[in-house]
Amino acid sequence: MSDMILNETPVRTSRNFNINNTKIDYEKIKKYLNVKTEFKNVKVINENKNVLIDENVKSVDNPYGISKELDDNIKNFSNNKKRIVISEKNNNPIEFGFKFDNNNTSLASNINIIANKNSEATVIFKYTSDKDIECFHNKVLNIEANNNSKLNIIIVNFLNQNSINLLSIQNDIKENAKVNYTIIDFGGKTSITNYYSNLVEKESKNDIDTIYLGSQEQFFDLNYIAHLRGEKCEVNIEVEGALKDKSKKHFKGTIDFVKGSKKAKGNENDSCVLLSKESKSISLPMLLCSEEDVEGNHSSSAGKIGDKELFYIMSRGFDKKEAMKLIVRAKFNNILEKLEDETLRKDILDEIDNKLS
Amino acid sequence: MKKTNLDEINRNIYDIKNKDDYEFKIKKGLTKEIVEEISKRKNEPGWMKEIRLKAVDVYESLELPTWGPDLSELDMNDIATYVKPKTNLSNSWDDVPDDIKNTFDKLGIPEAEKKSLAGVGAQYDSEVVYHSMKEELIKQGVIYTDMETAVREYPEIVKEHFMKCVPVHDHKFVALHAAVWSGGSFVYVPKNVKVDIPLQSYFRLNSPESGQFEHTLIIVDEGASLHFIEGCSAPKYNKVNLHAGCVELYVKDNASLRYSTIENWSKNMLNLNTKKAIVGKNAKMEWVSGSFGSKISMLYPMSILNGENSKTEFTGISFAGGGQNLDNGFKVVHNAKNTSSVVNAKSISKNGGKCTYRSLVRINENASNSKSSVSCESLMLDDISVSDTIPVNDIRTDNVEFSHEAKIGKLSDKTIFYLMSRGISEEDAKAMIVRGFAYPISKELPVEYAVEMNNLINLELEGAIG
Repeated sequence: MSDMILNETPVRTSRNFNINNTKIDYEKIKKYLNVKTEFKNVKVINENKNVLIDENVKSVDNPYGISKELDDNIKNFSNNKKRIVISEKNNNPIEFGFKFDNNNTSLASNINIIANKNSEATVIFKYTSDKDIECFHNKVLNIEANNNSKLNIIIVNFLNQNSINLLSIQNDIKENAKVNYTIIDFGGKTSITNYYSNLVEKESKNDIDTIYLGSQEQFFDLNYIAHLRGEKCEVNIEVEGALKDKSKKHFKGTIDFVKGSKKAKGNENDSCVLLSKESKSISLPMLLCSEEDVEGNHSSSAGKIGDKELFYIMSRGFDKKEAMKLIVRAKFNNILEKLEDETLRKDILDEIDNKLS
Repeated sequence: MKKTNLDEINRNIYDIKNKDDYEFKIKKGLTKEIVEEISKRKNEPGWMKEIRLKAVDVYESLELPTWGPDLSELDMNDIATYVKPKTNLSNSWDDVPDDIKNTFDKLGIPEAEKKSLAGVGAQYDSEVVYHSMKEELIKQGVIYTDMETAVREYPEIVKEHFMKCVPVHDHKFVALHAAVWSGGSFVYVPKNVKVDIPLQSYFRLNSPESGQFEHTLIIVDEGASLHFIEGCSAPKYNKVNLHAGCVELYVKDNASLRYSTIENWSKNMLNLNTKKAIVGKNAKMEWVSGSFGSKISMLYPMSILNGENSKTEFTGISFAGGGQNLDNGFKVVHNAKNTSSVVNAKSISKNGGKCTYRSLVRINENASNSKSSVSCESLMLDDISVSDTIPVNDIRTDNVEFSHEAKIGKLSDKTIFYLMSRGISEEDAKAMIVRGFAYPISKELPVEYAVEMNNLINLELEGAIG
């Protein structure tokens, strides 16, 4: 058995704190690497003339990423490539649905999104799987948001709990461009995300809203890194989660105010509800600052559902399980209510109910 | 805005150098022969020599930390680990040689002893040169002496506790410390004895290219209480000096201990100190820490809350100026039910200095109904400095309340404007805001030390704000 080291933090801390990186058993994933069979089960909704979709992806170097080996694997053996070029303003969200089944168990996906100047779009990536299969998903997503563009990216991970989900994201955000992410991370036995945003030019903005919900022995490792370089740029990271059974999560968030990022703002909040004695949460919300004239805040909290809240709802005739569901749904609501797609929101709420039943 | 930065500020009393005049200075480096020589000169029992020799092996087997400040300039072959001053331990200031006594006079130690302390220890280079305690505490059974005397006179207590709270293999500099330790204080407060007035140990390193490795061992027995103050300083030399002390604190059931530190090492010092406390049932451990000096500091006091209902508080400030890299913080492990921790950490960076707050809060599976609240604030006084916050929060059970918040920012323009509109100069307004920022920490110190801390802040701010 050999361990592969993944998702290193940009700045190390003591090894005894068990947070600098995470490990995955190489033997378990090696059969999925270098698969050349095309992943066919992809459905695209709302294709239109303002959005060009082809396979001319370019390989972009990522200073972070989950690991060099896995990123290289995508560059060389991707079985699903998509370049999405957005021009003009698009009102209807473009949705890519990836469905894993017996014939499509391994997806190495290389996706580029280029938002041209003044363009606007919402792009949804939804991952689902048949119940009892083992799936492997390794995705590299590179985004270039040019001046005054606006992108909403929604990633929904509903994979089953036999799966491995690996996600490397990189964003280059130019002047006055805005990139918003909503990441719904519910699936996979192991789900690892490396998120890197480079706010290169002035008044660029990046909001990241994440919800994770763990059950059984699920493990989530989230490593979010934002470099604030442009004047008056802004990043807001909001991570809300709940863990039941023996599930576990690592959240590593780094907001780095690089010299020159005058009047930049960076906020990160990580809040975790622990629904069982055996669930575990480790967080490392880092603020790195080499610029004086900035505002940086982070907050982190963990604990169980308050007895008073629970009592209040139960006194209205709900049993304990239902009351807990309501409280978790309410906790996630700040993020979910921003989703305009009613069907998607309902799907997510249904999945919350399923996982908490 | 006009700035008047000065490269080197006069640190007045702290920078006074005495002639490097010693009775014995061991050759530089770390070998078993050197360690044996130190042990022989101290006429130690065999068990202590054995701990030292084993620690050399541990030191050689461990790597330098792979995180934190760059320690590559530290070359142990350039450091003398033992320097015996030309005097023996005394319990009267009159018997301390003039040059050494003058140094402590200027630092205000004998004066403080008269006014506000129950006992004083003073270490110069590797040996304690002065130790005394008020008669009434002696009558109550309180022991306050140097570590060498404790090894000789209280071997059973020392054997039971020495390097047990901080194990030798904890990290490389703990192993180094265990191999070459010299000096430091031993305090034992018997059951139910309340020591109302603080005890203080002051550590002064005068000799260039040397290290100070004092060991502090404090046992506050059941139901007892103590406030212990530690002060450190050294004049500046061109080559690095090393401080790798070790503090082991045992706060037994229902006891309480407050451990205050004003650290003002010179700016060529590598301060790689280790401090840990084991806290018993219903006991309380408070840390108050002001960190001003050192070129590099890696200091993370730790409380291990082993007893039910035990509590800990950490209140600390770091102030990094040009050429300083202060990587400080706090660690707490909640290891029993109903434990609580409160952390309030602040840092100020200026003139290109770097402050890092690095921490760990771990709430273990057996620590249900525990609470932890952490707040850290960083202030940047210019755009060439650096301030990082690297906290790890490791929560391993559900029935807990944990919260952490941190913020980084600059002096508020609005507040400066408000104060200036009241007729205060810009420079004074800024200094006032910085002192206000540090106030939650200085108010936790006895008044004499709060004054010293404010003086240090003024000294550090001199020439930095304008």
